[in-house]
Amino acid sequence: MTRVLGGAFACLVGLFLVAPVAVTVASSLTATAYVTFPPQGITLRWYAEVFAKPEFLSSFVLSAGVAVAAAGVSAVVGLACGLAIHRYRFPGRGALEAVLSSAFAVPTIVLGIGLLQWFAQMGLASSPFTLLLAHLVLTVPYAVRLVLAGLAGLDRSAEKAAAGLGASPFLVFWHVTLPAVRGALIGSAFFAFITSFDDLTVALFVVTTDLQTLPVRIFNYMQYDYDPTVTAIGTLMVLFAVVAAVVIERFVGVARLFGADQDHK
Amino acid sequence: MAAVGRLAGGTLKRPRWRTGLLLALPAIAIFALLFVAPLFTLVANSFRTQAGAFTFSNYARFLGDPFYRDVLWNTLKVAALTTIGCLLVGYPFALYMRGRSARARNWLALLLLSPLLISMVIRAYGWLVVLGPNGPIAAVLTWLGLTPPQLLYNDTAVLIGMVHVMLAYMVLPLMGSLDRIDPTLVPAAKGLGAPGWTCFWRITLPLSAPGMLAGAMIVFSLTASSFVTPAILGGPKVKLMPYFVYTQATTTLDWPYAAAIGFVLVVVTTGLLLGYSRLLRRGRGEVVFG
Repeated sequence: MTRVLGGAFACLVGLFLVAPVAVTVASSLTATAYVTFPPQGITLRWYAEVFAKPEFLSSFVLSAGVAVAAAGVSAVVGLACGLAIHRYRFPGRGALEAVLSSAFAVPTIVLGIGLLQWFAQMGLASSPFTLLLAHLVLTVPYAVRLVLAGLAGLDRSAEKAAAGLGASPFLVFWHVTLPAVRGALIGSAFFAFITSFDDLTVALFVVTTDLQTLPVRIFNYMQYDYDPTVTAIGTLMVLFAVVAAVVIERFVGVARLFGADQDHK
Repeated sequence: MAAVGRLAGGTLKRPRWRTGLLLALPAIAIFALLFVAPLFTLVANSFRTQAGAFTFSNYARFLGDPFYRDVLWNTLKVAALTTIGCLLVGYPFALYMRGRSARARNWLALLLLSPLLISMVIRAYGWLVVLGPNGPIAAVLTWLGLTPPQLLYNDTAVLIGMVHVMLAYMVLPLMGSLDRIDPTLVPAAKGLGAPGWTCFWRITLPLSAPGMLAGAMIVFSLTASSFVTPAILGGPKVKLMPYFVYTQATTTLDWPYAAAIGFVLVVVTTGLLLGYSRLLRRGRGEVVFG
Protein backbone atom coordinates (compact mmCIF):
# COMPACT_ATOMS: atom_id res chain seq x y z
CA MET A 1 0.00 0.00 0.00
CA THR A 2 2.76 2.44 1.01
CA ARG A 3 4.60 1.34 -2.13
CA VAL A 4 1.70 2.22 -4.38
CA LEU A 5 1.18 5.52 -2.61
CA GLY A 6 4.89 6.30 -2.90
CA GLY A 7 4.87 5.49 -6.61
CA ALA A 8 1.80 7.61 -7.22
CA PHE A 9 3.34 10.51 -5.31
CA ALA A 10 6.59 10.23 -7.27
CA CYS A 11 4.60 10.27 -10.51
CA LEU A 12 2.84 13.45 -9.40
CA VAL A 13 6.17 15.09 -8.59
CA GLY A 14 7.49 13.96 -11.96
CA LEU A 15 4.48 15.50 -13.67
CA PHE A 16 5.04 18.72 -11.73
CA LEU A 17 8.69 18.77 -12.79
CA VAL A 18 8.08 18.27 -16.50
CA ALA A 19 4.80 20.20 -16.80
CA PRO A 20 6.14 23.61 -17.89
CA VAL A 21 8.46 22.12 -20.47
CA ALA A 22 5.95 19.63 -21.82
CA VAL A 23 3.31 22.34 -22.15
CA THR A 24 5.77 24.71 -23.84
CA VAL A 25 6.78 22.09 -26.39
CA ALA A 26 3.19 21.05 -27.11
CA SER A 27 1.82 24.56 -27.44
CA SER A 28 4.58 25.57 -29.84
CA LEU A 29 2.62 23.61 -32.46
CA THR A 30 -0.67 25.41 -32.01
CA ALA A 31 -2.28 26.99 -35.04
CA THR A 32 -3.83 29.77 -32.97
CA ALA A 33 -2.23 33.20 -32.77
CA TYR A 34 -2.09 32.99 -28.98
CA VAL A 35 -0.52 30.40 -26.70
CA THR A 36 -2.93 27.69 -25.65
CA PHE A 37 -2.80 24.22 -24.19
CA PRO A 38 -3.93 21.76 -25.42
CA PRO A 39 -2.78 23.15 -28.80
CA GLN A 40 -5.44 23.62 -31.48
CA GLY A 41 -4.41 22.34 -34.86
CA ILE A 42 -0.82 21.69 -35.83
CA THR A 43 1.57 24.03 -37.56
CA LEU A 44 5.28 24.72 -37.75
CA ARG A 45 4.53 28.36 -38.46
CA TRP A 46 6.01 29.60 -35.17
CA TYR A 47 9.33 27.95 -35.92
CA ALA A 48 9.40 29.72 -39.28
CA GLU A 49 8.54 32.89 -37.35
CA VAL A 50 11.61 32.44 -35.13
CA PHE A 51 13.93 32.15 -38.09
CA ALA A 52 12.21 35.06 -39.83
CA LYS A 53 13.24 37.35 -36.99
CA PRO A 54 16.91 38.20 -37.44
CA GLU A 55 17.15 39.76 -33.98
CA PHE A 56 16.64 36.35 -32.37
CA LEU A 57 19.39 34.85 -34.47
CA SER A 58 21.82 37.66 -33.66
CA SER A 59 20.98 37.34 -29.97
CA PHE A 60 21.60 33.61 -30.16
CA VAL A 61 24.98 34.19 -31.79
CA LEU A 62 25.91 36.74 -29.12
CA SER A 63 24.79 34.46 -26.27
CA ALA A 64 26.54 31.40 -27.69
CA GLY A 65 29.76 33.33 -28.34
CA VAL A 66 29.90 34.79 -24.85
CA ALA A 67 29.01 31.40 -23.34
CA VAL A 68 31.78 29.58 -25.23
CA ALA A 69 34.30 32.21 -24.16
CA ALA A 70 33.06 32.03 -20.55
CA ALA A 71 33.41 28.24 -20.65
CA GLY A 72 36.99 28.32 -21.92
CA VAL A 73 38.19 31.14 -19.69
CA SER A 74 36.60 29.77 -16.52
CA ALA A 75 38.07 26.31 -17.06
CA VAL A 76 41.57 27.73 -17.49
CA VAL A 77 41.31 30.34 -14.71
CA GLY A 78 39.61 27.78 -12.46
CA LEU A 79 42.38 25.24 -13.02
CA ALA A 80 45.14 27.76 -12.32
CA CYS A 81 43.40 29.14 -9.26
CA GLY A 82 42.49 25.66 -7.97
CA LEU A 83 46.12 24.54 -8.27
CA ALA A 84 47.31 27.71 -6.53
CA ILE A 85 44.92 27.31 -3.61
CA HIS A 86 45.46 23.57 -3.27
CA ARG A 87 49.22 23.53 -3.44
CA TYR A 88 50.74 26.89 -2.67
CA ARG A 89 50.80 29.40 0.13
CA PHE A 90 50.91 32.95 -1.12
CA PRO A 91 49.94 36.36 0.18
CA GLY A 92 46.21 36.93 -0.21
CA ARG A 93 45.30 33.25 -0.40
CA GLY A 94 42.93 33.42 2.55
CA ALA A 95 41.29 36.55 1.17
CA LEU A 96 40.88 34.94 -2.25
CA GLU A 97 39.22 31.88 -0.74
CA ALA A 98 36.91 34.09 1.32
CA VAL A 99 35.94 36.14 -1.71
CA LEU A 100 35.34 33.02 -3.84
CA SER A 101 33.05 31.49 -1.25
CA SER A 102 31.20 34.74 -0.60
CA ALA A 103 30.55 34.98 -4.35
CA PHE A 104 28.06 32.14 -3.88
CA ALA A 105 26.22 34.14 -1.23
CA VAL A 106 25.86 37.46 -3.02
CA PRO A 107 22.56 37.60 -4.93
CA THR A 108 23.08 37.88 -8.69
CA ILE A 109 20.72 40.85 -8.84
CA VAL A 110 22.99 42.71 -6.42
CA LEU A 111 26.02 41.77 -8.49
CA GLY A 112 24.18 42.99 -11.60
CA ILE A 113 23.42 46.42 -10.24
CA GLY A 114 26.92 46.68 -8.73
CA LEU A 115 28.45 45.96 -12.12
CA LEU A 116 26.10 48.44 -13.80
CA GLN A 117 27.22 51.23 -11.48
CA TRP A 118 30.88 50.22 -11.52
CA PHE A 119 31.07 49.96 -15.32
CA ALA A 120 29.34 53.34 -15.60
CA GLN A 121 31.83 54.86 -13.18
CA MET A 122 34.71 53.39 -15.16
CA GLY A 123 33.19 54.68 -18.38
CA LEU A 124 33.12 51.14 -19.76
CA ALA A 125 30.55 50.88 -22.56
CA SER A 126 28.50 47.73 -22.87
CA SER A 127 30.03 45.20 -25.27
CA PRO A 128 30.28 41.42 -25.62
CA PHE A 129 33.51 41.74 -23.65
CA THR A 130 31.86 43.38 -20.62
CA LEU A 131 29.18 40.67 -20.75
CA LEU A 132 31.91 38.03 -20.66
CA LEU A 133 33.58 39.75 -17.71
CA ALA A 134 30.28 39.89 -15.84
CA HIS A 135 29.62 36.20 -16.47
CA LEU A 136 33.07 35.15 -15.30
CA VAL A 137 32.15 36.33 -11.81
CA LEU A 138 29.27 33.83 -11.88
CA THR A 139 31.19 30.91 -13.35
CA VAL A 140 34.76 31.00 -11.97
CA PRO A 141 33.83 30.17 -8.34
CA TYR A 142 32.16 26.94 -9.53
CA ALA A 143 35.14 26.08 -11.70
CA VAL A 144 37.52 26.55 -8.75
CA ARG A 145 35.28 24.45 -6.52
CA LEU A 146 35.12 21.61 -9.05
CA VAL A 147 38.87 21.71 -9.68
CA LEU A 148 39.57 21.66 -5.93
CA ALA A 149 37.29 18.63 -5.57
CA GLY A 150 39.16 16.93 -8.43
CA LEU A 151 42.54 17.71 -6.88
CA ALA A 152 41.41 16.44 -3.49
CA GLY A 153 40.76 13.05 -5.08
CA LEU A 154 44.22 12.92 -6.63
CA ASP A 155 46.78 10.77 -4.88
CA ARG A 156 49.83 12.98 -4.54
CA SER A 157 52.13 9.95 -4.39
CA ALA A 158 51.42 9.33 -8.09
CA GLU A 159 52.90 12.74 -8.87
CA LYS A 160 55.81 12.14 -6.55
CA ALA A 161 56.46 8.78 -8.16
CA ALA A 162 56.44 10.33 -11.64
CA ALA A 163 58.78 13.08 -10.50
CA GLY A 164 60.96 10.56 -8.72
CA LEU A 165 61.23 8.57 -11.92
CA GLY A 166 62.61 11.65 -13.61
CA ALA A 167 59.57 13.25 -15.25
CA SER A 168 59.85 17.00 -15.64
CA PRO A 169 57.28 19.15 -13.77
CA PHE A 170 55.51 19.76 -17.06
CA LEU A 171 55.28 16.03 -17.86
CA VAL A 172 53.99 15.34 -14.35
CA PHE A 173 51.35 18.00 -14.84
CA TRP A 174 50.39 16.78 -18.30
CA HIS A 175 50.27 13.06 -17.60
CA VAL A 176 49.27 12.85 -13.94
CA THR A 177 47.66 16.05 -12.68
CA LEU A 178 45.66 17.05 -15.73
CA PRO A 179 43.96 13.67 -16.30
CA ALA A 180 42.89 13.71 -12.64
CA VAL A 181 41.04 16.99 -13.05
CA ARG A 182 39.80 16.35 -16.59
CA GLY A 183 36.27 15.63 -15.43
CA ALA A 184 36.28 18.74 -13.28
CA LEU A 185 37.43 20.86 -16.19
CA ILE A 186 34.83 19.51 -18.61
CA GLY A 187 32.21 19.90 -15.92
CA SER A 188 33.16 23.48 -15.15
CA ALA A 189 33.27 24.39 -18.84
CA PHE A 190 29.74 23.02 -19.37
CA PHE A 191 28.48 24.61 -16.22
CA ALA A 192 29.97 27.95 -17.26
CA PHE A 193 28.40 27.61 -20.70
CA ILE A 194 24.95 26.91 -19.31
CA THR A 195 25.20 29.64 -16.66
CA SER A 196 26.34 32.25 -19.15
CA PHE A 197 23.90 31.19 -21.86
CA ASP A 198 21.01 31.20 -19.41
CA ASP A 199 21.84 34.31 -17.43
CA LEU A 200 19.18 37.00 -17.47
CA THR A 201 19.63 38.72 -14.11
CA VAL A 202 23.13 40.07 -14.65
CA ALA A 203 22.76 40.55 -18.41
CA LEU A 204 19.72 42.80 -17.92
CA PHE A 205 21.98 45.34 -16.25
CA VAL A 206 24.87 45.03 -18.67
CA VAL A 207 23.13 45.00 -22.07
CA THR A 208 21.81 47.83 -24.20
CA THR A 209 18.96 47.78 -26.70
CA ASP A 210 21.40 47.04 -29.51
CA LEU A 211 23.16 44.28 -27.67
CA GLN A 212 20.73 41.78 -26.21
CA THR A 213 21.50 38.24 -25.20
CA LEU A 214 18.91 35.59 -26.02
CA PRO A 215 17.34 35.47 -22.52
CA VAL A 216 17.09 39.28 -22.49
CA ARG A 217 15.56 39.24 -25.98
CA ILE A 218 12.97 36.64 -24.95
CA PHE A 219 12.23 38.45 -21.68
CA ASN A 220 11.61 41.72 -23.50
CA TYR A 221 9.59 40.02 -26.25
CA MET A 222 7.36 38.40 -23.62
CA GLN A 223 6.39 41.77 -22.19
CA TYR A 224 4.68 42.80 -25.42
CA ASP A 225 3.71 39.67 -27.34
CA TYR A 226 1.79 36.63 -26.30
CA ASP A 227 2.13 34.78 -29.60
CA PRO A 228 3.60 31.26 -29.67
CA THR A 229 6.98 32.35 -31.06
CA VAL A 230 8.43 32.18 -27.55
CA THR A 231 7.22 28.58 -27.16
CA ALA A 232 8.99 27.66 -30.41
CA ILE A 233 12.24 29.24 -29.21
CA GLY A 234 11.72 27.52 -25.89
CA THR A 235 11.39 24.15 -27.60
CA LEU A 236 14.58 24.73 -29.55
CA MET A 237 16.36 25.68 -26.33
CA VAL A 238 15.01 22.60 -24.58
CA LEU A 239 16.44 20.44 -27.38
CA PHE A 240 19.73 22.25 -26.89
CA ALA A 241 19.59 21.61 -23.12
CA VAL A 242 18.80 17.91 -23.69
CA VAL A 243 21.87 17.53 -25.87
CA ALA A 244 23.97 19.36 -23.25
CA ALA A 245 22.54 17.16 -20.47
CA VAL A 246 23.38 13.96 -22.35
CA VAL A 247 26.93 15.17 -22.93
CA ILE A 248 27.38 16.19 -19.29
CA GLU A 249 25.92 12.93 -18.02
CA ARG A 250 28.36 11.12 -20.30
CA PHE A 251 31.40 12.95 -19.00
CA VAL A 252 30.77 13.97 -15.43
CA GLY A 253 27.35 13.01 -14.14
CA VAL A 254 24.77 15.73 -13.63
CA ALA A 255 24.42 15.20 -9.90
CA ARG A 256 28.12 15.76 -9.27
CA LEU A 257 27.98 19.02 -11.19
CA PHE A 258 25.60 20.48 -8.66
CA GLY A 259 27.81 19.49 -5.76
CA ALA A 260 25.45 16.83 -4.50
CA ASP A 261 27.28 13.73 -5.53
CA GLN A 262 26.03 10.46 -4.13
CA ASP A 263 28.04 7.37 -4.73
CA HIS A 264 25.65 5.32 -6.80
CA LYS A 265 27.37 2.05 -7.35
CA MET B 1 69.72 11.00 -7.33
CA ALA B 2 69.10 14.21 -9.23
CA ALA B 3 65.41 13.34 -9.32
CA VAL B 4 65.31 12.78 -5.60
CA GLY B 5 67.04 16.10 -5.11
CA ARG B 6 64.42 17.79 -7.23
CA LEU B 7 61.70 16.05 -5.31
CA ALA B 8 63.03 17.32 -2.01
CA GLY B 9 63.78 20.86 -3.06
CA GLY B 10 61.57 21.28 -6.11
CA THR B 11 58.05 22.35 -6.83
CA LEU B 12 56.34 19.44 -5.13
CA LYS B 13 57.85 19.63 -1.70
CA ARG B 14 58.46 23.30 -1.16
CA PRO B 15 56.21 25.29 -3.44
CA ARG B 16 57.34 28.83 -4.01
CA TRP B 17 54.77 31.44 -3.13
CA ARG B 18 55.47 33.32 -6.31
CA THR B 19 54.32 30.47 -8.51
CA GLY B 20 51.17 30.26 -6.46
CA LEU B 21 50.46 33.95 -6.74
CA LEU B 22 51.09 33.86 -10.47
CA LEU B 23 48.64 30.97 -10.92
CA ALA B 24 46.02 32.71 -8.82
CA LEU B 25 46.54 36.08 -10.46
CA PRO B 26 43.83 35.82 -13.16
CA ALA B 27 41.24 34.84 -10.57
CA ILE B 28 42.43 37.57 -8.20
CA ALA B 29 42.21 40.16 -10.98
CA ILE B 30 38.71 39.03 -11.99
CA PHE B 31 37.39 39.12 -8.45
CA ALA B 32 39.11 42.33 -7.41
CA LEU B 33 37.90 44.23 -10.47
CA LEU B 34 34.55 42.61 -11.11
CA PHE B 35 33.32 41.53 -7.70
CA VAL B 36 34.93 43.44 -4.85
CA ALA B 37 35.10 46.80 -6.66
CA PRO B 38 31.46 46.72 -7.90
CA LEU B 39 30.20 45.76 -4.45
CA PHE B 40 32.18 48.58 -2.86
CA THR B 41 30.80 50.98 -5.44
CA LEU B 42 27.33 49.73 -4.64
CA VAL B 43 27.72 50.24 -0.91
CA ALA B 44 29.32 53.65 -1.43
CA ASN B 45 26.53 54.73 -3.79
CA SER B 46 23.88 53.61 -1.33
CA PHE B 47 25.13 56.35 1.01
CA ARG B 48 24.86 59.04 -1.63
CA THR B 49 22.14 61.29 -2.93
CA GLN B 50 21.50 61.31 -6.67
CA ALA B 51 23.68 64.44 -6.76
CA GLY B 52 26.52 62.61 -4.99
CA ALA B 53 26.48 64.05 -1.45
CA PHE B 54 26.83 61.75 1.56
CA THR B 55 23.51 60.75 3.11
CA PHE B 56 21.63 58.13 5.11
CA SER B 57 18.38 59.09 3.42
CA ASN B 58 18.19 56.02 1.18
CA TYR B 59 18.15 53.72 4.19
CA ALA B 60 15.90 56.06 6.15
CA ARG B 61 13.49 56.00 3.21
CA PHE B 62 13.53 52.21 3.02
CA LEU B 63 13.02 51.62 6.73
CA GLY B 64 10.57 54.49 7.15
CA ASP B 65 8.27 53.55 4.31
CA PRO B 66 5.65 50.94 5.29
CA PHE B 67 5.45 49.91 1.63
CA TYR B 68 9.10 48.88 1.54
CA ARG B 69 8.97 47.28 4.96
CA ASP B 70 6.15 45.23 3.51
CA VAL B 71 8.34 44.33 0.52
CA LEU B 72 11.05 43.07 2.86
CA TRP B 73 8.55 41.11 4.92
CA ASN B 74 6.94 39.57 1.85
CA THR B 75 10.36 38.55 0.46
CA LEU B 76 11.15 36.65 3.65
CA LYS B 77 7.66 35.15 3.71
CA VAL B 78 7.82 33.85 0.13
CA ALA B 79 11.32 32.44 0.77
CA ALA B 80 10.12 30.68 3.93
CA LEU B 81 7.01 29.28 2.23
CA THR B 82 9.11 28.03 -0.70
CA THR B 83 11.42 26.29 1.77
CA ILE B 84 8.47 24.63 3.50
CA GLY B 85 6.98 23.67 0.13
CA CYS B 86 10.26 22.08 -0.98
CA LEU B 87 10.43 20.16 2.29
CA LEU B 88 6.85 18.88 2.02
CA VAL B 89 7.31 17.74 -1.58
CA GLY B 90 10.98 16.85 -1.34
CA TYR B 91 11.06 14.72 1.78
CA PRO B 92 8.63 12.01 0.59
CA PHE B 93 10.30 12.13 -2.81
CA ALA B 94 13.74 11.59 -1.23
CA LEU B 95 12.35 8.66 0.78
CA TYR B 96 10.93 7.21 -2.43
CA MET B 97 14.25 7.71 -4.24
CA ARG B 98 16.15 5.98 -1.45
CA GLY B 99 14.26 2.75 -1.97
CA ARG B 100 15.00 2.57 -5.71
CA SER B 101 17.81 0.86 -7.62
CA ALA B 102 20.94 2.84 -8.50
CA ARG B 103 19.77 3.15 -12.09
CA ALA B 104 16.33 4.43 -11.19
CA ARG B 105 17.88 6.87 -8.74
CA ASN B 106 20.10 8.28 -11.44
CA TRP B 107 17.06 8.92 -13.61
CA LEU B 108 15.13 10.46 -10.75
CA ALA B 109 18.07 12.76 -9.99
CA LEU B 110 18.18 13.79 -13.63
CA LEU B 111 14.43 14.47 -13.51
CA LEU B 112 14.91 16.64 -10.43
CA LEU B 113 17.74 18.56 -12.01
CA SER B 114 16.01 18.96 -15.37
CA PRO B 115 14.40 22.31 -14.46
CA LEU B 116 17.88 23.67 -13.75
CA LEU B 117 19.14 22.63 -17.16
CA ILE B 118 16.44 24.54 -18.98
CA SER B 119 16.62 28.26 -19.53
CA MET B 120 15.11 30.17 -16.61
CA VAL B 121 13.08 32.38 -18.91
CA ILE B 122 11.62 29.46 -20.83
CA ARG B 123 10.87 27.54 -17.65
CA ALA B 124 9.00 30.52 -16.19
CA TYR B 125 7.24 31.04 -19.50
CA GLY B 126 6.11 27.41 -19.35
CA TRP B 127 4.47 28.08 -15.98
CA LEU B 128 2.90 31.17 -17.45
CA VAL B 129 1.19 28.89 -19.97
CA VAL B 130 0.34 26.13 -17.46
CA LEU B 131 -1.23 28.55 -14.97
CA GLY B 132 -2.57 30.97 -17.57
CA PRO B 133 -6.16 31.45 -18.76
CA ASN B 134 -5.55 29.25 -21.84
CA GLY B 135 -3.63 26.61 -19.92
CA PRO B 136 -4.40 23.02 -18.94
CA ILE B 137 -5.52 23.83 -15.39
CA ALA B 138 -8.03 26.39 -16.59
CA ALA B 139 -9.17 23.91 -19.28
CA VAL B 140 -9.83 21.15 -16.72
CA LEU B 141 -11.65 23.52 -14.37
CA THR B 142 -13.81 24.88 -17.19
CA TRP B 143 -14.60 21.35 -18.33
CA LEU B 144 -15.73 20.58 -14.78
CA GLY B 145 -18.02 23.58 -14.99
CA LEU B 146 -16.02 25.76 -12.61
CA THR B 147 -14.71 29.27 -13.15
CA PRO B 148 -10.90 29.11 -13.14
CA PRO B 149 -9.42 31.47 -10.51
CA GLN B 150 -6.63 33.91 -11.30
CA LEU B 151 -3.55 31.74 -10.87
CA LEU B 152 -0.94 34.15 -12.17
CA TYR B 153 0.66 37.32 -10.84
CA ASN B 154 0.28 36.46 -7.17
CA ASP B 155 2.32 34.87 -4.38
CA THR B 156 0.99 31.39 -5.23
CA ALA B 157 2.29 31.55 -8.79
CA VAL B 158 5.73 32.61 -7.54
CA LEU B 159 5.62 29.85 -4.94
CA ILE B 160 4.83 27.16 -7.54
CA GLY B 161 7.57 28.39 -9.86
CA MET B 162 10.13 28.60 -7.06
CA VAL B 163 9.40 25.16 -5.56
CA HIS B 164 9.80 23.76 -9.09
CA VAL B 165 13.31 25.20 -9.45
CA MET B 166 14.45 24.72 -5.87
CA LEU B 167 13.29 21.14 -5.30
CA ALA B 168 16.63 19.64 -6.36
CA TYR B 169 18.51 21.84 -3.90
CA MET B 170 16.40 20.35 -1.12
CA VAL B 171 16.27 16.71 -2.22
CA LEU B 172 19.95 16.18 -3.06
CA PRO B 173 21.41 17.17 0.35
CA LEU B 174 18.54 15.26 1.94
CA MET B 175 19.51 12.15 -0.02
CA GLY B 176 23.07 12.57 1.21
CA SER B 177 21.84 12.51 4.80
CA LEU B 178 19.44 9.62 4.28
CA ASP B 179 22.17 7.55 2.65
CA ARG B 180 24.42 8.01 5.65
CA ILE B 181 21.87 6.44 8.02
CA ASP B 182 22.95 3.00 9.12
CA PRO B 183 20.62 0.67 7.13
CA THR B 184 20.38 -1.78 10.04
CA LEU B 185 18.87 0.76 12.46
CA VAL B 186 15.30 0.66 11.20
CA PRO B 187 15.09 -3.17 10.88
CA ALA B 188 16.60 -3.41 14.37
CA ALA B 189 13.97 -1.07 15.81
CA LYS B 190 11.24 -2.97 13.96
CA GLY B 191 12.58 -6.22 15.32
CA LEU B 192 12.24 -4.78 18.79
CA GLY B 193 8.60 -4.07 18.07
CA ALA B 194 8.60 -0.40 17.05
CA PRO B 195 5.84 0.43 14.56
CA GLY B 196 6.86 1.96 11.22
CA TRP B 197 5.71 5.44 12.18
CA THR B 198 7.82 5.40 15.35
CA CYS B 199 10.85 4.21 13.35
CA PHE B 200 10.44 7.16 11.03
CA TRP B 201 9.79 9.67 13.78
CA ARG B 202 12.56 8.52 16.13
CA ILE B 203 15.27 7.35 13.67
CA THR B 204 14.96 8.49 10.07
CA LEU B 205 13.70 12.01 10.65
CA PRO B 206 16.24 13.09 13.31
CA LEU B 207 19.14 11.48 11.45
CA SER B 208 18.21 13.23 8.22
CA ALA B 209 18.00 16.61 9.96
CA PRO B 210 21.46 17.81 8.78
CA GLY B 211 20.51 17.34 5.12
CA MET B 212 17.13 18.90 5.70
CA LEU B 213 18.65 21.96 7.36
CA ALA B 214 21.36 22.33 4.74
CA GLY B 215 18.75 22.11 1.98
CA ALA B 216 16.52 24.62 3.74
CA MET B 217 19.41 27.07 4.01
CA ILE B 218 20.20 26.89 0.29
CA VAL B 219 16.56 27.09 -0.78
CA PHE B 220 15.78 30.02 1.49
CA SER B 221 18.72 32.17 0.46
CA LEU B 222 18.41 31.43 -3.26
CA THR B 223 14.69 32.15 -3.21
CA ALA B 224 15.00 35.41 -1.28
CA SER B 225 17.43 36.73 -3.85
CA SER B 226 16.00 35.32 -7.08
CA PHE B 227 14.68 37.66 -9.70
CA VAL B 228 13.72 35.99 -12.99
CA THR B 229 11.04 33.51 -11.91
CA PRO B 230 9.26 35.94 -9.52
CA ALA B 231 9.46 38.76 -12.06
CA ILE B 232 7.80 36.68 -14.79
CA LEU B 233 5.23 34.82 -12.66
CA GLY B 234 4.53 37.55 -10.10
CA GLY B 235 5.23 40.78 -11.92
CA PRO B 236 4.87 44.12 -10.14
CA LYS B 237 1.97 42.88 -8.04
CA VAL B 238 4.13 40.52 -6.00
CA LYS B 239 6.27 42.71 -3.81
CA LEU B 240 9.77 41.22 -3.66
CA MET B 241 13.09 42.94 -3.03
CA PRO B 242 14.99 41.85 -6.18
CA TYR B 243 12.18 43.16 -8.37
CA PHE B 244 12.42 46.60 -6.75
CA VAL B 245 16.21 46.64 -7.12
CA TYR B 246 15.60 46.11 -10.82
CA THR B 247 12.86 48.69 -11.31
CA GLN B 248 14.66 51.33 -9.24
CA ALA B 249 17.81 50.80 -11.29
CA THR B 250 16.27 50.61 -14.76
CA THR B 251 12.87 52.33 -14.68
CA THR B 252 13.04 54.95 -11.93
CA LEU B 253 16.78 55.33 -12.53
CA ASP B 254 17.37 56.01 -8.85
CA TRP B 255 20.70 54.18 -8.60
CA PRO B 256 21.52 55.10 -5.00
CA TYR B 257 18.15 53.83 -3.82
CA ALA B 258 18.49 50.64 -5.89
CA ALA B 259 21.91 50.16 -4.30
CA ALA B 260 20.45 50.61 -0.82
CA ILE B 261 17.68 48.04 -1.45
CA GLY B 262 20.27 45.62 -2.81
CA PHE B 263 22.51 46.12 0.19
CA VAL B 264 19.61 45.60 2.63
CA LEU B 265 18.86 42.34 0.79
CA VAL B 266 22.45 41.15 1.20
CA VAL B 267 22.60 42.13 4.88
CA VAL B 268 19.26 40.52 5.76
CA THR B 269 19.88 37.24 3.91
CA THR B 270 23.48 36.78 5.10
CA GLY B 271 22.47 37.80 8.61
CA LEU B 272 19.71 35.20 8.67
CA LEU B 273 22.01 32.56 7.21
CA LEU B 274 24.76 33.24 9.75
CA GLY B 275 22.29 33.00 12.61
CA TYR B 276 20.82 29.88 11.11
CA SER B 277 24.16 28.15 10.59
CA ARG B 278 25.06 28.91 14.20
CA LEU B 279 21.80 27.32 15.23
CA LEU B 280 22.59 24.42 12.91
CA ARG B 281 25.95 23.81 14.52
CA ARG B 282 24.41 23.74 17.95
CA GLY B 283 21.61 21.52 16.67
CA ARG B 284 24.07 19.09 15.19
CA GLY B 285 25.87 18.90 18.53
CA GLU B 286 22.62 17.83 20.12
CA VAL B 287 22.04 15.15 17.51
CA VAL B 288 25.53 13.77 18.04
CA PHE B 289 25.60 13.87 21.80
CA GLY B 290 21.93 13.63 22.68
